[in-house]
Amino acid sequence: MSVLVKLSTTLRDCVPGYDPVAGMEVDIAAHGELSAEALAAVIGIPRSEIKIVMVNGRQSALSTVVRDGDRVAYFPAVGGG
Amino acid sequence: MPDIFGSAASGKLDAETLRRFLAQCPGSCEGSFVRFVGVKAVAQAARLPEREAMCALLDAGFWPERFRRSRSVLSAEGLKRLLRSRVLIAGCGGLGGHAAALLARSGVGAFVLCDPDAFEESNLNRQMFCTEGTLGRAKAEAAREGLLGMASYLDVEARVVTVDGENLPGLLAGCSAVVDGLDSVPKKLMLEEAAARAGLPFVHGSVNREEGFAFIEEAGGRRLAGMWPDAKERAEEGDRAFLESPDTVASSAAGVACLMASLLVKALACGEVRDSALLHLDCSVPELARFEF
Repeated sequence: MSVLVKLSTTLRDCVPGYDPVAGMEVDIAAHGELSAEALAAVIGIPRSEIKIVMVNGRQSALSTVVRDGDRVAYFPAVGGG
Repeated sequence: MPDIFGSAASGKLDAETLRRFLAQCPGSCEGSFVRFVGVKAVAQAARLPEREAMCALLDAGFWPERFRRSRSVLSAEGLKRLLRSRVLIAGCGGLGGHAAALLARSGVGAFVLCDPDAFEESNLNRQMFCTEGTLGRAKAEAAREGLLGMASYLDVEARVVTVDGENLPGLLAGCSAVVDGLDSVPKKLMLEEAAARAGLPFVHGSVNREEGFAFIEEAGGRRLAGMWPDAKERAEEGDRAFLESPDTVASSAAGVACLMASLLVKALACGEVRDSALLHLDCSVPELARFEF
C-alpha cells in the first residue's frame, strides 16, 4: 500500500534528496488509517508550512484520509507576482 | 491624403471604398493584409483611432499585417473583440509585465497598468520591462513605454499607485478584465473581491521559486478566496508565508504569465469567460498539472 507524494517549492527543503520528477512513493501499510496531515508528519513536513493539499487532483482538507494509490500534493503559500 | 471617406467616420467603411483608398497609398497592403502605414492612413482619413481603423478593415475583409501570423488562430470577430478590450494589470513585475506584453502582442487594445514601485536590480532576473536602462523608473511607466514600443496604437494608462479597495472601483471602470500580478496572497484576495464587485472576469497568477498557479474565473467569482480560506487571518497573525514575496525566476514568471494570457485571450476573443481549472506549472521538471478547487 503506497501513495505518491508531490512536494512544491519550499516544502522540498524539508526532504533532502527529493526528486521533483518522480515525487516520493510512500509506503502507508504500517500506518493504518492515515490523514493527509498525518502523512505529512510521516514525511517530515511541518504542518505550519502546508497551505494547500491536493488529493488526486482536487483541493482537499488536511483531515482527508489517504488511500492506496492516491496522489497527494502539498503546497506552501504561493503568492508571488 | 485622399479624402474619400466623407462622413464615414460615423458609419461603416465599406470594402470597396477601403480598397480604392488603399490603392492610392503605395505600399499600404499586400493582398488583404494591410500594413500599419495603411492602418494609420485609414485612421487619419476617417478620423478614427487606429484600433478602430483596424476593426473597420477587419469588417471589410482585410487583415492587419502585424497579426498575419495570428490569422489561423483568431477570427476577425475575435481580433476585433481583443482590440476593443481594456485590461487592468495589477502589478507590473514578473507576472504583470510578461502578461501585458503577451496580451498586447495578441491584440488587446487598451491597458490600465498599476504598480506603485520602481524597478530594482533584483528585478532583472525575471521582470519583462526591467532592463539596466529602466532601473529606478516607475514600473507602470516603463511598462507603458515598452507596450507602446510594440504597438503604438495602444491606449495605455500608467498609474503609479497601490491598488486597494478604495481606488479599484474607479480604476476598473471601463475595463473588460482584471489580471492579478500582485505579490502576496492577501493582496490577491483583495483584488479578486474588487473584480467580483465590479462584475469583471479575474485572471489569477502566482509564483514561488520555479512553480506557479494560474486560473481564470467568470465575473463575480471568488474561487481564490475559497482556495485560501484563512489567508487573511493568518497574515494578520503575522504568518510570514502570506506576507513575504518568495524567490522567483524568469521561467516560472514568464511561464505562468503565458498561461494567464492564454486563458484571457481565449476568453476575450470568444466573448465568453468560463471558469478554468487551476493550472500548476512546475518549471523544475518541467510539467503542467490541472487541479479542481
